[in-house]
Amino acid sequence: MKSGQAEIAETSKGIQKRGLMSRRIAIFEFILRIIAFFNTISSAILMATTNETLPFFTQFIRFHADYNDLPALTFFVVANAVVSGYLILTLPLAFVHIVKNKTENSRILLIILDVAMVGLLASGAASAAAIVYLAHNGNNNTNWFAVCQQFNSFCERISGSLIGSFIAVVLLILLIILSAIAISRRH
Amino acid sequence: MDIEKAGSRREEEEPIVQKPKLDKGKGKAHVFAPPMNYSRIMEKHKQEKVNMASWKRGVAIFDFVLRLIAAITAMAAAAKMATTEETLPFFTQFLQFSADYTDLPTLSSFVIVNSIVGGYLTLSLPFSIVCIIRPLAVPPRLFLILCDTAMMGLTMMAASASAAIVYLAHNGNSSSNWLPVCQQFGDFCQGTSGAVVASFIAAALLMFLVVLSAFALKRST
Repeated sequence: MKSGQAEIAETSKGIQKRGLMSRRIAIFEFILRIIAFFNTISSAILMATTNETLPFFTQFIRFHADYNDLPALTFFVVANAVVSGYLILTLPLAFVHIVKNKTENSRILLIILDVAMVGLLASGAASAAAIVYLAHNGNNNTNWFAVCQQFNSFCERISGSLIGSFIAVVLLILLIILSAIAISRRH
Repeated sequence: MDIEKAGSRREEEEPIVQKPKLDKGKGKAHVFAPPMNYSRIMEKHKQEKVNMASWKRGVAIFDFVLRLIAAITAMAAAAKMATTEETLPFFTQFLQFSADYTDLPTLSSFVIVNSIVGGYLTLSLPFSIVCIIRPLAVPPRLFLILCDTAMMGLTMMAASASAAIVYLAHNGNSSSNWLPVCQQFGDFCQGTSGAVVASFIAAALLMFLVVLSAFALKRST
């Protein structure tokens, strides 16, 4: 008879099932990564394809604006390209996090790489923003002339490409925080 | 998230709970039969917890020291930039040639952001002390990693924007006809460059702090 045997029930410390909340966090991270990838790649492409040539020219000076002319904008393009490549390469890892149970070590690797990429992307975006601000407004004290008064469409394009990059910085910071929450959960 | 009070409740909590099976017809209550290695399981569990608490406490102490250094560095960067000014020894009838951090709005935003970050790092020192005292607690560490990540992004942005402006002041740009200012204002350029370097060091320290907190949040070794 079974009445003689004691039943052993497991509490939450016994079998550790993957909670629904952890799975939701992993899916949200995957989606954020895809959105950030699209933002960075579009910023890089938009900045790299700007050029404007003014319809008049003198004998010695050529009126042409390109992203190559300003080293901060070149750095911006390179940083965005690197971060978009990183994001597409870590998409499979993020997908594995949705499925697998014990993800702590790979999540820590992902946090380390994400922190480095946030630093790179924030640096590129901010330096390009400083140069774009200078191109829009100029500076009286240093006699730096506002370039945008001549190159209108060039200025519009480079200002627009900054937006995607800043959104991607915010998304990457959110990704770091979500990974930290997922590491600290009890599962 | 569960806040674990050290030593108060957890030792008495049994990992395996047994439900009594009451046989109503027979009038007998059944005996709890713990497994054979019950005490050994409890000992191993307690030892693991003590080990984890000790290495997390070490990480928290390192975190506190790094936080102190980063706070000092950030405030030093802000102070250096704010006190750098140079006045050239010649002047015309109408103009006096002086350079200050207020002449460039990017540099004044640098001063503001670095002082905010320095103030935040000082105010987060008590949270770090709480993490040393209670190494197994999760909410202080989570709060620290959240704020640290945001502040790291902010300080990296301010430092790199100022670095772009300082690079322009050093080298100028021929395509847009921007002349390098540093050939006239040598001391000003040196002071601002030093402040930018200090700010980058503070940003790197903040990055390392984020990674350290992520390590300390692990629940299993």
